[in-house]
Amino acid sequence: MDVDIIFKIAAIGILTAVVSQILKNSGKDDISTLATLAGVVIVLFMVVGMIGELFTNIRTIFSF
Amino acid sequence: MDTLFKIISVALITCVACMVVKPVRADFAVLLSIVGGIIIILYMLSYFADIFKIFDSIFHFSGVNSSIYSVVLKIIGVGYLTEFASSVCSDTGNSSLADKVLLGGKIVILVMSLPIVTSILDIVMQLLPK
Repeated sequence: MDVDIIFKIAAIGILTAVVSQILKNSGKDDISTLATLAGVVIVLFMVVGMIGELFTNIRTIFSF
Repeated sequence: MDTLFKIISVALITCVACMVVKPVRADFAVLLSIVGGIIIILYMLSYFADIFKIFDSIFHFSGVNSSIYSVVLKIIGVGYLTEFASSVCSDTGNSSLADKVLLGGKIVILVMSLPIVTSILDIVMQLLPK
């Protein structure tokens, strides 16, 4: 459990913003939407994994 | 003390990252704040384990029924989880959803603590003269 996941998520956010902006400017609006969606899904996977870790930890410590 | 510095640094880093990301992508800022909160709570969980070990020995010493002790622990866990979820909801602007999460936590705590209330009533009924 480290801080670098925060930097990872911030970097993915900036990167997807740049990629979608470039694609939008070159006229590929649909592909830009897909790139944005892919970035969101990747970060969502990370966040869901962390939430699951938190829930299992709390479940073991508070003896649910 | 070491953990405190870790928590403070994680919180400040999350704040700065949120400020950087928010103008470009507002939805990622929410995910960032969720992850920062989870990291901070995970730092604290080891302390919870120590605290509960000591509580366990105190309860064992006092001779109180151990089922009551586990109910109290579960209620504390429900409180922390609902607080976390409701603060995430209110951060994203859904304050009504946050209120509903809090209400659900309160109702779950009430349902969990009902057996204790009934056991107290049982004791009172036994003490009363027939």
